[in-house]
Amino acid sequence: MPCILIVEDEKDVREMLRISLARKRYTILEAENGKDAITHFKPAVTDLVITDLIMPEEDGLKVIMKFREIKPSVKIIAISGGGKAGPGSYLNMAKALGADAIYSKPFSLSDLMVKIDELLNIEQS
Amino acid sequence: MNHNTKIPQPDDFLELLKRDKIVSDHILNNSRSMISVITRDYIYEKVNATFCVAHLGMPESIIGKSLGDIWGYEIFRDKIKHNLDKCFSGETVKYVEAFSTPQSGKRFYEVIFRPFPAVSGEITHLLAETFDVTDLKLTEQIAAEKEDEFKRFETNLPIGFLRCLPDGRILLANKAIMIILDCRGQISLCGTNLRKYYTEESLFDLHVSQLMDGKPKSFGRVPLKTCRENEIVCRISAFMFLDQSDKPSYIDFSFEDSSREMMLENKLLQAQKLETIGALAGGIAHDFNNILTTISGYAELLKDDLPDPLQSSQKIARILMAVSKARSLTNQILTFSRQMEQEKVTVSVSKVLKETLGFLKDSVPPDVIIKRNIWSGKIKVFADPTQLFRVFLNLMTNALQSMEETGGNLSVELKQVNGKNLKDILDKDILADEYALVTFRDTGKGMDPSVLRRIFEPFYTTREVGKGTGLGLSVVHGIVSEMGGDILVSSEKNKGSVFYVYLPVTLEDRTAISDLQVTKKKILFVIGNRHEAGILSLALESSGYIIATASDRKTLVREMSDGEDLPDLILYMSDAEQIKTNDLIEVIAETNIEIPVIAISDTGQELIEEKSLPSGLIKQHLIKPVSLKEIRNAIQLSLI
Repeated sequence: MPCILIVEDEKDVREMLRISLARKRYTILEAENGKDAITHFKPAVTDLVITDLIMPEEDGLKVIMKFREIKPSVKIIAISGGGKAGPGSYLNMAKALGADAIYSKPFSLSDLMVKIDELLNIEQS
Repeated sequence: MNHNTKIPQPDDFLELLKRDKIVSDHILNNSRSMISVITRDYIYEKVNATFCVAHLGMPESIIGKSLGDIWGYEIFRDKIKHNLDKCFSGETVKYVEAFSTPQSGKRFYEVIFRPFPAVSGEITHLLAETFDVTDLKLTEQIAAEKEDEFKRFETNLPIGFLRCLPDGRILLANKAIMIILDCRGQISLCGTNLRKYYTEESLFDLHVSQLMDGKPKSFGRVPLKTCRENEIVCRISAFMFLDQSDKPSYIDFSFEDSSREMMLENKLLQAQKLETIGALAGGIAHDFNNILTTISGYAELLKDDLPDPLQSSQKIARILMAVSKARSLTNQILTFSRQMEQEKVTVSVSKVLKETLGFLKDSVPPDVIIKRNIWSGKIKVFADPTQLFRVFLNLMTNALQSMEETGGNLSVELKQVNGKNLKDILDKDILADEYALVTFRDTGKGMDPSVLRRIFEPFYTTREVGKGTGLGLSVVHGIVSEMGGDILVSSEKNKGSVFYVYLPVTLEDRTAISDLQVTKKKILFVIGNRHEAGILSLALESSGYIIATASDRKTLVREMSDGEDLPDLILYMSDAEQIKTNDLIEVIAETNIEIPVIAISDTGQELIEEKSLPSGLIKQHLIKPVSLKEIRNAIQLSLI
């Protein structure tokens, strides 16, 4: 089963994502901030990463850059609850850095699930 | 014969005359003036000792010489002769002139020529008297210079000087005080009472009582009112002069206008306050979005857990709807705090303004007249058209509401102004070359200064609790600031308000940054209100989409059956009167093409129908107000 890494500092959101992904029988890995995610990243097994953007320690943009460098084929979905980094918004920057999809919080969980399937299916085929 | 009477003898006369001459000569020679007798040939006939001393000579060396010989021929010709001639014609001549003498060098003299008639009455001689007035002259000159200097100093300084009696009656006042108190047209302040320029008259008495000790005092920020009844604030310094018995004699005041300083200070304070609230609100909105994510996520999960999914889906849908509403609110807060992602395109201000006016047409109260003065030239700004629409809509709705009961005029004006002329108006370090200035002027209720100060703060509202979020103007402020513009307001209670919106003009045609698609996608727009849809079309067309519209079923069917040029996506405005959700579903079902639909609605309530949401037909569901960014994101997600 594909393995998904959730990077999210907000515990409630992280748990909600874990429960919903577990129902789909995905293997779940979790990290509570960017630094944690980068240190414990397992490129060999991770197929998809869902990352929040504004987080303590290293932020989501750093996670995207690092992961793209280590494993270019990994799928990345960025989620954010708003906020700006300089002239561009975080989500726009995430997209520019190579996120495959972006969602602003709150998002439709079913939309996200459809998107994950789609990204992983393309990968599998 | 009277023995007591002595008949004077000729010798005695001679004696008397001699004595008389001695006395006269004594007086003449001891005078400090130069005295001389001059003949008609301009020859000295007699001079006194002072004259001789001044010329370092003896009477013999001067008498018989001409004035030219003594003073120099040029000086005689230019400075003396015409005065002598005047005197010979019978007039006493008096003038002041500078002359040089061998003894003292150059000095100022007052010269008096008196005609000296002979017995016959013919003027054969004249008597010349010359006084040294150099010291006087110098003193006068210094005094005049000093006075001149002081005048310049006093009139050029923006400090008002004023002297008044302890009861406030003004004795003296300079020009600057007239300017500060806005008394142009009035000749003088003298005679009026300083007391009446104090906003609080009792404060004047307090100041006077504090000055009683005769020491100089300063009073910061004293509220005053001008001749035109405007309120200003001055820094006052004052000093009371006491007479010998320590009784108050008069008071000298100086006034410095600190209104502008205060205005700038207030503006800065306001800006800082808004910035702080913005950062705070933005942070809260961010946290809220996390919480909302959890709520909506679990609600969606719950749907699958419940035994009767069809029954429960309605309730779950309502939870999700509430989340959407809350999200719309957090988005507004993020817009205010300028943390909202914005997608901007080059857009014509007049187009957006005209669409907004059209949108509002039906909600204008009958006794309100809208006057338009919209410059026909193209003024383009770099903005999200939907956001600009909200700015205009919000300001005009407020204006209309303030005239709901009384009726009145709303004037809407658009013009272009040069940035150079706005240096004193806009508090910005860098100004754009040109600005679009949109002015909304109403004759409604107006606002108190206390209200005026706070209108851009989020959650500040004068409406009743529960009516409106109080976010409107704060969002307007956020949008305009984000664009690099500024919004100013002036208002008077019961007279009306004026909002000035300054937006930097853009010269280049820029489309959205993320607009990199090569093949143009066609969007079918199922519309309700023509004008609101107009704004969205404007926004999407500038983003590179091809737009087709349908407002009735017939057009919808035609668009949907054009095999050559089918739309890639349908944007459905839920207030479309002639095409209900059911109609849309039917038409799509008939044509048998799979086409994504994005619905935009006011509250979303009307879309919660079993057929629409769960059917999977409607891919995305947006709640007004929607930004260009949101729509574009929705479109991009739906088109994948």
